[in-house]
Amino acid sequence: MKYDIHQATAYLYASPVPVARHIVRMVPVSRPGQRVTDSHIAVDPEPAEWVETRDFFGNQVAHIRIETAHTRFTVRTSARVEVDPPPERDPAAGPSWEEVREAVGHSEDLTPHSPVHHAFPSPAVTLCEPITDWTRKSFPPGRPMLEACVELMQRIYDDFAYDSRATDVSTPAIEAFEMRRGVCQDFAHIMITGLRGLGLPAAYVSGFLRTEPPPGKERLQGADATHAWVSVWCGSEFQWIGLDPTNALIVSTDHVVLANGRDYTDVAPIGGVLVGSGRQKLSVAVDVIPMPETTPDAMAPDGAPGEAGGMDDETENPG
Amino acid sequence: MAGGSELQALTRRFEAEAADSLMSSYRPLPGVHDELVDAEGKLRPQWGPLLAGLAEMGVEEVNRLFTAADRYLHRSGVFYRVYDDAGGGERPWPLAHLPLLIDDTEWQALSRGLIQRAQMLESVLADIYGDGELVRSGALPAAAVAGSPEFLRPLVGVDPHGGSFLRLYAADLGRGPDGRWWVLSDRTQSPSGAGYALENRIAISRSLPDLSRSMNVVRLAGYFQGLRAGLTKLDRSGEGRVGLLTPGPLNETYFEHAYLARYLGFVLLQGEDLTVRDNAVYVRTVAGLKRVDVLLRRLDSDFADPLELNPRSRLGIPGLVQAVRAGGVALANALGAGLIEAPLMMSFLPKIGPRILGEDLLLPNVATWWCGQETERERVLDSFDDLVIAPAFGRSLPGLLEDGPVIGADLTPARREEVLKAIQTRGVDFIGQEAVRLSTMPVWRNGQLEPRPFILRLFVAATEKGWQVMPGGFCRVSDSRDSRAVTMQRGGRSADVWVLGAGPVDQTTLLPAPGAAEVRRQVGPLPSRAADNFFWLGRYVERAELTLRLLRTLVGRLSSTIEGDNVSVTKLTHLLKSWGAVPADLAHARTTRQAFAALSRSDLSGALPSIVEAARQTASVIRDRLSPDAWRTLADLALMLAEPVPAKGAEAESHERLERALRSLSAFSGLASENMNRQAGWRFLDLGRRIERGISTARIARTLVGEMVSASTLDVLLELCDSQITYRSRYVMTESRAPVLDMVLLDPVNPRSLAYQIDAIAEHLDQLPAHHGDEPPLPEERLAARLLASMKAFGANEFDDARLTEVEMQLMELSNDIAERYFIHRSPVETPWDLLA
Repeated sequence: MKYDIHQATAYLYASPVPVARHIVRMVPVSRPGQRVTDSHIAVDPEPAEWVETRDFFGNQVAHIRIETAHTRFTVRTSARVEVDPPPERDPAAGPSWEEVREAVGHSEDLTPHSPVHHAFPSPAVTLCEPITDWTRKSFPPGRPMLEACVELMQRIYDDFAYDSRATDVSTPAIEAFEMRRGVCQDFAHIMITGLRGLGLPAAYVSGFLRTEPPPGKERLQGADATHAWVSVWCGSEFQWIGLDPTNALIVSTDHVVLANGRDYTDVAPIGGVLVGSGRQKLSVAVDVIPMPETTPDAMAPDGAPGEAGGMDDETENPG
Repeated sequence: MAGGSELQALTRRFEAEAADSLMSSYRPLPGVHDELVDAEGKLRPQWGPLLAGLAEMGVEEVNRLFTAADRYLHRSGVFYRVYDDAGGGERPWPLAHLPLLIDDTEWQALSRGLIQRAQMLESVLADIYGDGELVRSGALPAAAVAGSPEFLRPLVGVDPHGGSFLRLYAADLGRGPDGRWWVLSDRTQSPSGAGYALENRIAISRSLPDLSRSMNVVRLAGYFQGLRAGLTKLDRSGEGRVGLLTPGPLNETYFEHAYLARYLGFVLLQGEDLTVRDNAVYVRTVAGLKRVDVLLRRLDSDFADPLELNPRSRLGIPGLVQAVRAGGVALANALGAGLIEAPLMMSFLPKIGPRILGEDLLLPNVATWWCGQETERERVLDSFDDLVIAPAFGRSLPGLLEDGPVIGADLTPARREEVLKAIQTRGVDFIGQEAVRLSTMPVWRNGQLEPRPFILRLFVAATEKGWQVMPGGFCRVSDSRDSRAVTMQRGGRSADVWVLGAGPVDQTTLLPAPGAAEVRRQVGPLPSRAADNFFWLGRYVERAELTLRLLRTLVGRLSSTIEGDNVSVTKLTHLLKSWGAVPADLAHARTTRQAFAALSRSDLSGALPSIVEAARQTASVIRDRLSPDAWRTLADLALMLAEPVPAKGAEAESHERLERALRSLSAFSGLASENMNRQAGWRFLDLGRRIERGISTARIARTLVGEMVSASTLDVLLELCDSQITYRSRYVMTESRAPVLDMVLLDPVNPRSLAYQIDAIAEHLDQLPAHHGDEPPLPEERLAARLLASMKAFGANEFDDARLTEVEMQLMELSNDIAERYFIHRSPVETPWDLLA
């Protein structure tokens, strides 16, 4: 699948901000399974300093410093991405979850693709007994890793209610778990917390979902903002497999990866510090438009996502 | 030479006899090594002179000297430590007075072992953050690195500026029953304790000066000189732009940070003081941004940059990692160096060492097994009860090993089950470790010696001449006889460590000695945060003093029968109320009770305890810049006011407190003005004070001589402005409005007059960094000029309510202008978590 992706994010401040420093992770990059052929980022106001790097996990990061007093900060990005379908995997095949766990302890790989980075607590993932115990029900001795993970994903989908009012971006997983409600970020964090509680490697992935469903299919949850899901490591043969607990889907060509990391804090689209006070308002708009295979060069209309799409959420609450 | 050895033998015998009296009840613990006596109970030779010296002085004299050492430490502690901590400002490690003695031969061996270990750890860090060969080859499991919160991914592939990760390294050592030293843990994050060691050394060598000299105790100063030179060399500007980065006064080792910064001559900085621009780090000072090239880091890496490291940190410097990546600043130790401290590293270092160094490790570490792999995990589970079970990565494991390492057999049955289950599920988080028995050293118990287990921390610094070991250490002595190392986590005392030189030792000192001190007039521009605190310290101290004067004057008039004094009492009470010193619930109470409230109630923002506490807190963050005596005066005053007034004799006690408080404040002012050199800090302190005094003088004059002026109100005004004596010497007549107002408002030589404050303010502004004689005046300078002019333009009688109100407003505006120009240092009020939440 090929997509044209447009995203606009705007912060509105109650009083002028004289100085700000941000870290922006909003541009997708080519990685196994997807190719980015064209990408743009524009920031307003004009930064005094702009450094682009890749972070440890290979995500595109822009460090910017703004020294112009401003009450509005906007980031617009666009990208053209081609997504390959992942290889078909039989959930009942592959190593058992205990074998996966033992492989983590024996791993001789510290590169960014290694499972070892995703088997431990991280800034937004604190291991906790209730979630681990709940997770354990899907992990009887000897069960294949992928099969157990798919069941866990399905249980989250079945037992939890999608409710964007129940949580916000900093809600700890245990709170969403106890309420049995939340959004994609909460579901991803809960699933990760449970898997790591058993010593299993699970990564946090942020990205996009196609905005318009294929004919005859339902619109997916989380398509109108940045989405989040989980990637589990299923042994050296299967490697990483994307599981989307919000939609109970094994990730395929409807998902475009923006960034991955240990949890939300590693991939937060915009982090930053600024001098100033006053509440901020954030608005986000995302369009992920499938491109007809026949006209690969067709461009989406200029400025497609428009002015923040009329959303006025206090916070960005990813899908 | 025969005569010489005879003499030596004689000396030995004398020493042994003297020691006998102290050691009559000394019983080493069974099965452990003892530092004082050997297995046959014979005194080890290096202790002879010390015991002989103590015996010669006699128990009483020794007790007296040791008490003096405690007093010295307490006083220096009062200077540095925070009062609001649970320990009541006590140092965490009270002094165990007898030093640990290490002879030259043993010391040389220890030094070689430590330096070798430092080299190995440096290579391990360079490999983990660089090439990654250790992990690839299987010598170090990848999860053992990735699981550490101190493995900082943004630093992977970044070469540390200056070429090394470690510039400071410390190791905790214990001596096993076989007499060998073992490494119990490595400290590479930001090793603490060297400052305490220095402090202990000063305290003990003041008490036992002759002994420390005659025993050739090697001095510590050379080590610190090496450390300082090594760090200063990293400063490419050559201007000595080296800072010590501290998490701030709430940190438990802040004392050491302030102490070391002073001792080494580095500026003490908090994250708030610093900002990153174009890949370089700058200090925000009253004279603008000043670059800093080297930071001796006492802030944990993870907290150093909220943008790329822990987003919850409020102590760090946004953008620091980016500056490090670009080579714009050198950190000692490098960010991420704390990785080595993960206890599980000790299960791999014994094999990694020879691999890296090509030789065996001279100093072994405690046998350790990581439970992340099946074979080792089974081994730990098999001997669970005999081993120390510890978190693999940190100091504690929430919910399981809350208090850190514990011997398996010591767990309660319920907890034991939980831990066993957790090891089966997440073995990666656990290690098992051999339970070490520590050796004992003597402690002084009122004339008798008793054996106590101890852990020895030694320090190594990278200097221009290579690794240098501090010839001494920080020794933690247990309060109990339990010699298992695992029980030594907290509590206990600290002892000095004497390395006995083979001959007379170099007398280097870094403490200022007459004629030896470096001549250095400028200490660099004042950080904005410090200037802000100086300014407010000045204002709070002045406000406290004025409140006290008001109270004293009020109390003095209460029982008066002089006509008109009741009006004065009403006016004074009104002033107190307008300052929030009297609570609403007491509005109709007797004036005595109101005065009492203003003196003692800590819940009122304008009452004395709150003002003094505000002053103390403000001073506490610039302690390193105040004279120790000035700080102590203020801290003692806050303590006194915080104590509840006894119900019995409350009135007398209140009077007494009032007088004592006034004396303390005068002492503080004297110490501050006499003992601070006339640099920016003093200027801001005095500016704050003058502005506060100007504002309050205008307000008092307005309140007292507005309506119903009487001899009484004029007298009160003179008293408040401390001008009675001058007035009486100048005027024979009784108080009348014009001369009194002239003296209080306009007299340029009366140091309490309004005009005097304004003169002083204008003079300070001329000396501040933003002033340029050739440029048009700044807003605050214009305001000062207007104020100066009105002091000259109007007579005393023309200062009516409106004019005085205007002066008050102008002074407040002036205060805001100064704040805006010099104190805008407030760093980020939002961190990523707020921004997104």
